[in-house]
Amino acid sequence: MIRWLIATLMLVAAGAAHGQLNVVATTSNMGMLAETVGGEHVSVTVLAPPDRDVHYLEARPAMMAALRRADLLLAVGAELEVGWLPAAISGAGNARVNPGRRGYFEAAAQVDRIEEGRPADRALGDVHPAGNPHVYLDPERMARIARTLAERLAEMDAANAQRFRANAQAFAEGVEARIDGWRERVDGAPGVVLFHADANYLMRLLEVPVHGYLEPVPGVPPTGAHLRELVRGLEGKRGVIIRYPYQMERATDFLGARLDMEVHELMPGVEVGGSAEDYFALIERWVDAISSAK
Amino acid sequence: MKSMLVTGTAGVLALAVSGVALAQPSSPTRAGVADPLDSPGIGTYDVLGGTREQLGALRAFNPAISVIFDGVYENTVSGELDEPAGFEGGHDHGHGGGGDDGLRLRETEVAFSGSVDSYFDAMAIFVVDGDHVEIEEAYIATSSLPAGLQVKAGKFLSDIGYINRQHPHQWDFVDRPLMSEFLFGDHGLQETGVQLSWVAPTPWYTRLGVEVLQGGGSAISGYEGSQTFEVNFLREDGAGGFERVRARGDSGLEDASGPRLFTAFAKVAPDLGFDHAAQFGVSGGYARSWQNAVEHSSARFETWDGDAWFAGVDMVYKYDAARSYGHGNWTVQGEYFYRVIDVDYRSRVFQDGALVATQQGDAADEFSGKAKQDGAYLQALYGIAPRWNVGARAEALGITNDSLEADRGENRFTSFGTSYRYALQTSFMPTEFSRIRLQANYADFADDNGGHGHGDAWTVMLQYNLSLGAHGAHAF
Repeated sequence: MIRWLIATLMLVAAGAAHGQLNVVATTSNMGMLAETVGGEHVSVTVLAPPDRDVHYLEARPAMMAALRRADLLLAVGAELEVGWLPAAISGAGNARVNPGRRGYFEAAAQVDRIEEGRPADRALGDVHPAGNPHVYLDPERMARIARTLAERLAEMDAANAQRFRANAQAFAEGVEARIDGWRERVDGAPGVVLFHADANYLMRLLEVPVHGYLEPVPGVPPTGAHLRELVRGLEGKRGVIIRYPYQMERATDFLGARLDMEVHELMPGVEVGGSAEDYFALIERWVDAISSAK
Repeated sequence: MKSMLVTGTAGVLALAVSGVALAQPSSPTRAGVADPLDSPGIGTYDVLGGTREQLGALRAFNPAISVIFDGVYENTVSGELDEPAGFEGGHDHGHGGGGDDGLRLRETEVAFSGSVDSYFDAMAIFVVDGDHVEIEEAYIATSSLPAGLQVKAGKFLSDIGYINRQHPHQWDFVDRPLMSEFLFGDHGLQETGVQLSWVAPTPWYTRLGVEVLQGGGSAISGYEGSQTFEVNFLREDGAGGFERVRARGDSGLEDASGPRLFTAFAKVAPDLGFDHAAQFGVSGGYARSWQNAVEHSSARFETWDGDAWFAGVDMVYKYDAARSYGHGNWTVQGEYFYRVIDVDYRSRVFQDGALVATQQGDAADEFSGKAKQDGAYLQALYGIAPRWNVGARAEALGITNDSLEADRGENRFTSFGTSYRYALQTSFMPTEFSRIRLQANYADFADDNGGHGHGDAWTVMLQYNLSLGAHGAHAF
């Protein structure tokens, strides 16, 4: 026990000696953003890999251990992680990352959100009155969040402020340089059917219509009646159906077969440890999938 | 912050200066660092580093209010459900445990929670149980202490074991494990006091804590204090009539000032990656006063007076299958607790207006002894389909069962056999806010004659469990 404590303290000291800020990111996309902006001046821990539904995670002890040592918590926010992150924060006993403190950063709170102000009526599903939280699939908003994040990191590590700003700027330019190309490639794409409303930002950015959602209301899995309704409503329409590996394959396959639409398995985020290039490649795969229905 | 301190005073100074600058939006420093490429539309945040607020209902409403609805239909379909033998003493009867067959509204829980200010969080949970309202928990907790420390004060569920701090709607089964109900009480170990806990800055999650509790509110900390026993009886008055006589006697129990119960716990959880999580705990406690007094209808009084301690281990393992709505997930959870109550026992009656020891032959019914009892459960839960889970639980109570029931004449406490209970449940969760559960219990309780079979019963339960409003996230 004692030896282990000493080893740990040495590890903590070693991290501190490098002057790195300990950043805990809830998702791999947020981790990518922290790595991209913070560079070698941050050490990033990601709480959830992209292959699981961030709505339904549990507050695990490993998350609390990571948050205990964090200087900055980078969350998607707008209630996306409401089912587990507050418990993880309170279990971590680290006041630096409490909401309202400098160490608390919600990405979605830094930008304007679509679908804001919907009634907080759960009969309409697991809705978020604060707006659609899934800002991470919007490269433009991510660029703006990166800039704000650079300023936050600069508040915490003033010596490297210019570095953070330059990194955020480079990321924003990377997004800017690609958007027209993406838009061009999806131009004329008939549309998509999504499982959940988590790619709405990207579809607005690319100006691609969303035909519908497999969930009857957010947070409720597809029902037979809803699928039949979708089939009736979308009969004759063209487009692609997009699913993630953790989403119910039977429902997407059923719909794909009935509507003669191809089902594309994509990811909502980069792999853990992914870079800005990986993020752009992820958006490329979305663009490929969407444009394949042209 | 730690890393900042090491990077040198210059960094800290710069930080302090920038902090001041950012706090004054009109200062020229702010304009100086603003990125000229920022379009004006981006400035939706308070300061350059962005807003620090938490969006959503939990913060939008202060306090966040939620109501938990919990109803059960219960039917003992065969056999008769008695209390497990050996746990009469120190267990308060009335509600909780095996209630009447039929439809029951269980605890309706009303919870208020939120931040008092930037230093304190507060939580109050009221339970409406039948026609009376109880405070389940009402505590304040620090939110800003440094170094991983937290102080909690008020009435709260102790952090000993694993299931003790959970509210009924968090359970994976309809009912409380026997171990928790009979060793600690109908509400578990729920006391008024103060808790100090520390989360270590280790890669493995490590949380240590101590609690100083008033005692008297649970089965492990029975408390009576000094009192007077009293009987009224009629006596021939010699004139052919009767006179009413009142006899009074000191119970012999002494007042013991609080706090009377002290506990400590440690929880350790290795980092097993994204798919697996496990947590192991040890905990124990000492009640420096343990008292109980029972008045029998025969005007016999029994008292127990001494102290008690308990210790136990708990573990939980969870597997996240990365599929939809809990499909393929596993939870395995188990606990073992052992308690010793070391008391002086007295059995007395009134004789000629005075309390005297009852006699068995020549010997008085007074002795010292130790009640040693334990309990354990092991349960597993599996996500058999999206939104569906199945679970099994096995329980043993009184594996060692030296009870507090006096074996009068032998001048010792009576030992009983072990009680067992097995449960199967399946739950359907339409959303994360609602659950419908079907559970079957088979109880094989030891009876008072040392055998089995008398307390042998099948029970079927159908439960709904709904959460209305903004309910805080649950701890691991």
